[in-house]
Amino acid sequence: MLQADKLHRTLSASVAVSGISLSLARGDVLGLLGLNGAGKSTTLKMLCGMLVPDSGSVTIDGHSMQEQPLEARARIGFLPDQPPVYDDMRVEEYLRLCGQIRGMKGQQLSDRQSEVIEQCSLTTVSRNLIGTLSKGYRQRVGLAQAIIHEPTVLLLDEPGNGLDPQQLDAMRELIRRYADEHAVVFSTHLLSEAQSTCNRVAVIHEGKLVADVLAQGEDLEALFHGAIS
Amino acid sequence: MIITIAKHQFLTLARSAQTWMIAAILALLFGYLFLQQLETFLNIQDQLSLQDYPVGLSGYMSVRYLQPLALAFTFVAPLFGMRAFSDEFSRHTYALWQSSPVSTAALVLGKFIGMSMVMLLLVLIAVGMLFIMISFAPIDLPIVFSAATGLALCACASMACGLFFSSMTRHNVVAIISSLALLVLLWLLGSASFGELPIQAISQLSIASHSSGFFQGYLQSADVAYFILMTLMFLGLTVVRLDSLRQNGY
Repeated sequence: MLQADKLHRTLSASVAVSGISLSLARGDVLGLLGLNGAGKSTTLKMLCGMLVPDSGSVTIDGHSMQEQPLEARARIGFLPDQPPVYDDMRVEEYLRLCGQIRGMKGQQLSDRQSEVIEQCSLTTVSRNLIGTLSKGYRQRVGLAQAIIHEPTVLLLDEPGNGLDPQQLDAMRELIRRYADEHAVVFSTHLLSEAQSTCNRVAVIHEGKLVADVLAQGEDLEALFHGAIS
Repeated sequence: MIITIAKHQFLTLARSAQTWMIAAILALLFGYLFLQQLETFLNIQDQLSLQDYPVGLSGYMSVRYLQPLALAFTFVAPLFGMRAFSDEFSRHTYALWQSSPVSTAALVLGKFIGMSMVMLLLVLIAVGMLFIMISFAPIDLPIVFSAATGLALCACASMACGLFFSSMTRHNVVAIISSLALLVLLWLLGSASFGELPIQAISQLSIASHSSGFFQGYLQSADVAYFILMTLMFLGLTVVRLDSLRQNGY
């Protein structure tokens, strides 16, 4: 579903990402672990087409991000570290716009809109202005926009930001369910979050992929500290 | 896709208090100028009728009422464009467009069309005032059409300029100051007198010299082409700038 090959990227004259390769299949939930500034967000931006790698390639569901960017991006849902929401729009109006720019329309869009509003527990605020919502709700609206078009690959940058423990559990459950039919990559610096949600963990340190292992049965703390030392 | 983006941009502007404030100030300006020039015409119409080529009410109002509005529209239009991208950058919503299957050209065109719809409504209000006179004087439709085209083209070119500078920065104020500085320069080029030929050619870039013909009823292809090319140039530069963000990050 997702194939990234030897991604390399320099930002402000320093190497942000160097030689990262990733491969994801249906059902994979990959947690990108790393310290702040390790290169997790830069990697996600390259995977979703926001940033062009200096070298290397990204393929989504057989579509090259370099050669068929629109087809590749149509198969991606991305939640950046700050949810890309418009404060002056109502939640359902915003989700409708997000669906429309991903090519959805009519009954299909209306059905899917109601579905994600329910999945992301936004029913009570669906007619509220996004600007009036708490950080946790905004994060959930951001998650809803990322999955409204049922992308093949879901990319989440620190999705747990601003969520309370109950909301975190709901989000983890949502990610796990979503991964049954799709692939999910999310970045985090919380080992517990990766342990409870992922079936694979990759550790990025100073722009390099230093570990990529199955999460089950691993002592992530030992793995993480071993990888970055 | 372009229509969806245009509709979104139009609604964004329609929700903004700033848009309504600008529209209200412009409407006041329209009303004041219109009544002032209408009164002046009524006072001097006997003298005007004695001229070799008498000027009618439509011709008079086109030059005295609509032409000054071209200046107003040129400097107001970038206010609508200045937030188009700088707000997206500063509020982190640009990531939505960058990660969606939307081409940069469609995004720029959609936003431009959305803003143009607001601007054209204002042009319609300005020109529509002339039709108040229809009950007591015939309206010279070709002159009014020519003047309306001039206003719309001026506004669109200036708005495209604002849109471009908006794509250069995440600060609205920087975007508006930069676009106004360039537009003032483009106006001043027409009023400066240049002796030498190469510099004289630069004065051909002036907005003022290309817009004046519209208000005298001359719909010249060179003037129309000037504004269309200026609009396309700024839209093209905006696309290049936004594409470069994928290369350089923002």
